[in-house]
Amino acid sequence: MPVFKLCFKILKKNMFLMTMYIVIFIVVSIIMAFASANEQKNLSSFTQEKRNIVFITEDSSPLVEGLKQELGKIANFVDIPDQTEALQDALYFRVVTYVLRIPRGFTEAFMRGEDVQVEKTVAPASYGNLYIDLTVDKYLNTARLYVNQLENLSLESLVERLRQDLSQSTVTELGRVHNNTGSNAYLKYYYNYLPYSLINILIFGMAELAIVFNNSDLRKRNACSPLSSKSMNLQYMLANVVFALLSWFITVAVCFALNFKKSLNMSTVYYMLNFFVFAICAATMSFMLGNLVNRGAITAVSNVVSLGLSFISGVFVPQEFIGSYVLKVASFTPTYWYVYTNDRIAELTQFDFEKFKYVLPGMLIQLCFALAFFSVAMVIAKKKRLS
Amino acid sequence: MIIKVKDLVKRYDDLVALDHLSLSVREGEIFGLLGPNGSGKTTAINCILSLLEYDKGEIEVFDKPMTPESYDIKRQIGIVMQNVAVYNELTVYENIDYFCGLYVQDKTLRKRYVDEAIEFVELGDYTKFYPKKLSGGLLRRLNIACGIAHKPKLIILDEPTVGVDPQSRNRILEGIVELNKQGVTIVYTSHYMEEVEQICTRIVIIDKGKAIAAGTKDELKKMISMGEKITVETYGISPEQLSTLKKLPNILSVQYNGNSRLLIIKSKEGENNLETVLDFIKREGIQYGKIYSELPTLNDVFLEITGKDLRD
Amino acid sequence: MFAHIFRYRLKCLLRDRETIFWTLVFPLILAVLFNMAFSNLNKVEGFSPIDIAVVDNRQYQEDQYFKMTLKEVSQGDDRLFNLVVVSEDEANKLLNENSIAGYIVVEDSVKLVVNQTGIEQSIIKSFLDNYIQTLSAVNSILTLNPAGGQELFNELGNRYQYIREVPIAKAEPNNILLYFYSLIAMACLYGSFFGMREINDTQPNITPLAARINTAPVHKLKLFIYSMSASILIHITEIFILLLFLRFVINVDFGTRTVYVILTAIVGSVVGNAFGAFISATVKKDENLKIGISICVSMVGSFLSGMMYQNMKYIVAKKMPLLSYLNPVNLLTDAFYCLYYYDSLEKYALNMSILLIFILAFCSGIYLMVRRRKYASI
Repeated sequence: MPVFKLCFKILKKNMFLMTMYIVIFIVVSIIMAFASANEQKNLSSFTQEKRNIVFITEDSSPLVEGLKQELGKIANFVDIPDQTEALQDALYFRVVTYVLRIPRGFTEAFMRGEDVQVEKTVAPASYGNLYIDLTVDKYLNTARLYVNQLENLSLESLVERLRQDLSQSTVTELGRVHNNTGSNAYLKYYYNYLPYSLINILIFGMAELAIVFNNSDLRKRNACSPLSSKSMNLQYMLANVVFALLSWFITVAVCFALNFKKSLNMSTVYYMLNFFVFAICAATMSFMLGNLVNRGAITAVSNVVSLGLSFISGVFVPQEFIGSYVLKVASFTPTYWYVYTNDRIAELTQFDFEKFKYVLPGMLIQLCFALAFFSVAMVIAKKKRLS
Repeated sequence: MIIKVKDLVKRYDDLVALDHLSLSVREGEIFGLLGPNGSGKTTAINCILSLLEYDKGEIEVFDKPMTPESYDIKRQIGIVMQNVAVYNELTVYENIDYFCGLYVQDKTLRKRYVDEAIEFVELGDYTKFYPKKLSGGLLRRLNIACGIAHKPKLIILDEPTVGVDPQSRNRILEGIVELNKQGVTIVYTSHYMEEVEQICTRIVIIDKGKAIAAGTKDELKKMISMGEKITVETYGISPEQLSTLKKLPNILSVQYNGNSRLLIIKSKEGENNLETVLDFIKREGIQYGKIYSELPTLNDVFLEITGKDLRD
Repeated sequence: MFAHIFRYRLKCLLRDRETIFWTLVFPLILAVLFNMAFSNLNKVEGFSPIDIAVVDNRQYQEDQYFKMTLKEVSQGDDRLFNLVVVSEDEANKLLNENSIAGYIVVEDSVKLVVNQTGIEQSIIKSFLDNYIQTLSAVNSILTLNPAGGQELFNELGNRYQYIREVPIAKAEPNNILLYFYSLIAMACLYGSFFGMREINDTQPNITPLAARINTAPVHKLKLFIYSMSASILIHITEIFILLLFLRFVINVDFGTRTVYVILTAIVGSVVGNAFGAFISATVKKDENLKIGISICVSMVGSFLSGMMYQNMKYIVAKKMPLLSYLNPVNLLTDAFYCLYYYDSLEKYALNMSILLIFILAFCSGIYLMVRRRKYASI
């Protein structure tokens, strides 16, 4: 199988670069997965991590103290001087994500029943801020009830009552089938970030091969050889497929290696299967692209394709945050369906065949894409051969 | 002395590419550097041009030591490299204009030079073409034009006729002679003996990084013992006849190739060698077809000195 | 000499249409895709109601207030929950099927049963907490002022907005902008391809063309700088086009300091070009390796400055602050953001100074390498 061996010699020649690529991209996936899983954990557990906030008050009263104590249950107070530069810096570097300021005369005005407000400045897209908002809101609104209904209520007794009221908490019970999202979150994120890495690796590898094989002089020389073009093409494609499989294997193996115990469950099998289907799809897409564009453009194309697809399909920004119109457009790309299927797998608590049919459609669609890319690639290859 | 090279040594790790090479080029001559592939011709040229680092030796051009910053020397040199060195994104005219512009700043003067160069290599019909569209011969002509447009005093051509059709090749050789007549010193490297024989006034034969012979054509040919080579097409000659033939006066060696049926006789220089051989053949009654006599070629010179053909 | 070399180099570069096309178009396409991906992020999206159930037991039926409160938040277009009232067994079944996020049981106190601890579950809990806390307050008030029942009840319906958001800087902090800024930074760093080509075309040990040029009476460094100017000009033009596209088509806000924005773009382009030339001059071996290194550095730089995963930026700033100052992609992204967000130019100046040091370092490296006059082998 001379053509097949040649392909691997070519890849081997670029082994250093290839390895560097693979390592970097996989490490990127791992870091993102870990960080996302951590963030998700903080975001959603009932015993969530305390946020860092700055509490500045120009007013001093038991009410303000009471608010501060209430906030102390869900946040850490960081001491930052009340200067614009310092605060800007703190927000910018996420030392704190929330700055609360109680203006002068707040308590007095509040007790008189006037419309007063506290001021907040936030670092955007930090979800924990919601809890802080809710807490402040709840405290002040509850206080308002007292103030408006009871005259002659002293500040101290108001604060004391508030403290008692707000110490109540709903009893929560975790049901029988307890799905620990924690460890699965890591898996979900790791597999979700892989398309970016895989597409880059595959386009790079296949472009290398395509460049050599599409060199017109070489093609002519090969065409004169006694090896049938069908056999040559088959071997060439086989080499591409093996390369794709190797990449798939390495990425999956790394996931196992890092998180062996947590990976030993059924959801891993589903993730691997979905990723395998995606790998086929990405392989055919890379094959098509490698044959389509020339050397200079290949970097730009691989960037646009991997990065662009990843952004609109929910790889970097979760699908739930992407606008529906965008998702519609993205549904014409295989990456979208891969992420969609992954999210479905993450939701599964049981893995019998009944549930499998939830994830099947996504995988089938990806295979359709694969078929389409493959056909296009064949047509192009034929055209090139005849030119 | 236009170029003076003394004891040049260049090593690539263990391989000695130039082994104490010495040569000199005088003003106004067409200097030929002849040697088989891999003998060090291009290496020597690159060293002379200060493109390549060398381990030992001295190089002087225009009586001044040659360094990469010798810009006044470089201004007077034109180079035509073995590989076609032109910009694929520029047309023929633009290529010549660009390279000439690195030497000649004056716009009007440059325009004249460029036009003259185009005329000289006869690329007038192709000025707007891009190099991709030119055939091998035309490309080589472009390569030459780029090297000579600025009217240098010394032109170095490194195997300029590789892959060129005979017509273009002849035109190139004629052109070089024409330039020389205008007073330009030429250094010409090649492994084609016929070209070197045709145009070079002085020749250095180089092999394995060493200069093994130097002189004019005639001087070189006189260096070897062979003065004449007689080839006889014959259908059979016995070994005894061969040894008798060898003992004839002036005969240096006798060789018979049964497959090609050629009897090759090498003799010293003399006036009646052919007559002697013919007499012998007639006396012995050896049947013969064609007979021809040649003067030694540079290949013979090379062969005798090194024991191998120039083409090896 | 400058005009001659510059003009011809410009011609050469511009005629390589394919490279120009791709280096220009690819950031534009990415900008469009980013915009699509983020178009929804900043909007406050009315999120879809959460599916819950409440167990239909005696305590639930008797607790009028709770029943009413629940009902109120479970109807209307902007309702919080989709509520079903079912038996306990049914509720369990629904929970295990994931048809509901959790269910409520009213016993001595209100209890919530869930299967996982996600956002939806947190919201339900918050709601319930709020309920019982308010209930406690109401009880407390009624004890002290029994007469105020009706008024109190009306009051409950009003929720007052006590928090007002104020900006603390020149502009609202906006994380989406960071994505676009890092896209610009990445595009600047892709200038390294131009820089790389410049060096390749002037080093005789790489192309015969360069060998010919090296025999000309032009100082190598001058040749390189004149030639490089053409590349930089083209690349800067591409970056400007990207900036204009971002500003006027995608409506990215750059703040008000336009001159500085342009200056940053120019410096960024020079950094990218110089970087590419530096790589090409120092890594002698083979073309693929050079391209690979430059791609990897751009990619890793973009990643560490938060392009793919935004928190990365802050993780690096917290754990390895030195790295964030050594990453040119990060420096450029931050420079743009500083112009947008901060009042003073102090941070901006810091970023720019480091970038200029980079340029100096690269140029020195190039000079040392190119200056080596002859080559060991061609």
